[in-house]
Amino acid sequence: MAKEFETRMIVISPSSSVTPDQVTRLVHSLSLEITVKETCYGAMIEGSKEDVRNALIAIRKLDPDRIFTKVRGFPIGDTRRCRAHHGSRPGFTQLEKEWECLRLVDKGVSAAERGEPVRERPPPRKLSVKRLKEIVDEVSK
Amino acid sequence: MKVFIVPPNSLILFDLVERYGHEPLSLMGAIHERVVNPEVESPPMNVTPDDVKKGLKYAGIEVPSGIRGRLAVWGPLVDQADAAIIMDDAPFEFGCVGCHRTDEMVRYLIRKRKIPFIVVRYPNDEEEAKVMVAKIKGFLEGLQ
Repeated sequence: MAKEFETRMIVISPSSSVTPDQVTRLVHSLSLEITVKETCYGAMIEGSKEDVRNALIAIRKLDPDRIFTKVRGFPIGDTRRCRAHHGSRPGFTQLEKEWECLRLVDKGVSAAERGEPVRERPPPRKLSVKRLKEIVDEVSK
Repeated sequence: MKVFIVPPNSLILFDLVERYGHEPLSLMGAIHERVVNPEVESPPMNVTPDDVKKGLKYAGIEVPSGIRGRLAVWGPLVDQADAAIIMDDAPFEFGCVGCHRTDEMVRYLIRKRKIPFIVVRYPNDEEEAKVMVAKIKGFLEGLQ
């Protein structure tokens, strides 16, 4: 494989109707020299940076606001990470958390594209000691 | 422009930085260079002895080796960065779980470099997500 290769994770938001199978089939149909692996959250693609970029442009067109991507450190099927080889998967909690959050973020991306005005709420304030004492007294009765 | 993201392995921040036309500096990119380099010893080692020495630039010898090891990877990214995005108030399983001190040191390094940065709150509902994306978009567009 070329030295300047890149591995990308394609993560589909839970609110999208696009399936990992659709993404994989699309990548196959592009006839680019890249490896694709279908996963539960979307797909992983690997190839030269140029080919990966071209594939990303095509994949994003499926659902521009609801398909997210990031670079992956380890190549596809690397024995240090691939579960087929009993590799560890330390990044999975992060991926799971972010995947859950994508249903909110995609709404933000759509709103930003529309130029929707947003109003920031003040951060939640801490409970005062006085109120805490009142709660303790109420519960203790 | 090169934008450093905190946490440096975040999919959301990586995607948003790239979506709005900048180059994200991420942990995955730094790790990729190390794990595909044939000089790195057998798995699962992905930090070389030289890396740990490099960490001394960012943290003193009395600092635990785990922090120095992490900073050896994150520190050069902060040095390269033209701007930074920090996500705050995130749940504990969001980001690089394991070392809060490294996280604090990285925030200190960003402030010390005096590069433009923005702190956004982790979204818990739709409105907060809209605010987060709008703030990030505005910040990144303002960098050009």
